[in-house]
Amino acid sequence: MSTAMNFGNKSFQPRPPDKGSFPLDHFGECRSFKDKFMRCLRENRFENAACRLESREYLRCRMDRRLMAQEPLEKLGFGDLEDGKAEAQRSAE
Amino acid sequence: MGGLWRPAWGCVALCGPRWSRAGRVLWAADRAEAFLRRAWSGTGSAETGLRWRHGTGKRPILAGQPGRRPKSTNPFTRAQEEDWRRRNKTVLTYVAAAAVGMLGASYAAVPLYRLYCQTTGLGGSAVAGHGSDQIENMVPVKDRIIKVTFNADVHASLQWNFRPQQTEIYVVPGETALAFYKAKNPTDKPVIGISTYNVVPFEAGQYFNKIQCFCFEEQRLNPQEEVDMPVFFYIDPEFAEDPRMVNVDLITLSYTFFEAKEGHKLPIPGYN
Repeated sequence: MSTAMNFGNKSFQPRPPDKGSFPLDHFGECRSFKDKFMRCLRENRFENAACRLESREYLRCRMDRRLMAQEPLEKLGFGDLEDGKAEAQRSAE
Repeated sequence: MGGLWRPAWGCVALCGPRWSRAGRVLWAADRAEAFLRRAWSGTGSAETGLRWRHGTGKRPILAGQPGRRPKSTNPFTRAQEEDWRRRNKTVLTYVAAAAVGMLGASYAAVPLYRLYCQTTGLGGSAVAGHGSDQIENMVPVKDRIIKVTFNADVHASLQWNFRPQQTEIYVVPGETALAFYKAKNPTDKPVIGISTYNVVPFEAGQYFNKIQCFCFEEQRLNPQEEVDMPVFFYIDPEFAEDPRMVNVDLITLSYTFFEAKEGHKLPIPGYN
């Protein structure tokens, strides 16, 4: 929130998140996934592109434990990962 | 009494608004008035008749208009005064109605503006609304790497330990990213906190979209509890096409936690 009283400048207007708020993980059910993600980030110099699989796993864990609304992962921007995994499996075989 | 007034009104109608000819009218008016006075004393209340005869010097009070004392005894000017009084009353009514209308409009403006903002989307988001379809179809702009740093603040009255779990993360526009904050309640009482966020630079803030986070809703931490708070966000791909954002390589996301008091309702963001 901008506390400056200058009306000439643009002020920041916070917007609510698109899908609302994450329920708190009081019991740490997805902590292992989070630790995996953080470890991946540290190893890859905090590049998000390298750790997208781990972040997808974390969100999937949340959905399974009902800590997040169920939603197809393509809608959360992981569509390319689904195709990539299928392609990698095909190329490996 | 109406019949007595008719000749007087006939004169008024003929003369019209040209009161400069009042001189000619006045002598006829005086004659009519004398006639009328006699008529009043006869048909009116005995007291007024007595008053006239005794000549107290007071003017007669017209029946049916208590407290209203016309300033002249001339029936034409009296009629004019009545007319003016009536016009003044209507003008006053209109002015009062306009004042009340303005007051009501100023009160009604608040919900009406809110409705207008909701329908047109102005005053809140500067970019067009994002549906989940857009997230599905957006293509990451791989050549534009942006560093997002994280900052965590806590209001003085809130005793939580709140900090980000990574200092920075490198993302590209169009790619969804996950980041974590950690909050611990070291006290022995459950504490409810509520947070808001800020994005610097302000112009880049309009491209910073949060899919899901932990802000603007009350979060309750039990005594000695520590939780991970994720933020799932992306930067709009249109960021790469904005000429004002050419030099922006660093975006700072800053969260601030406040203590939520019971029964305290925070305003919905976007209407400030």
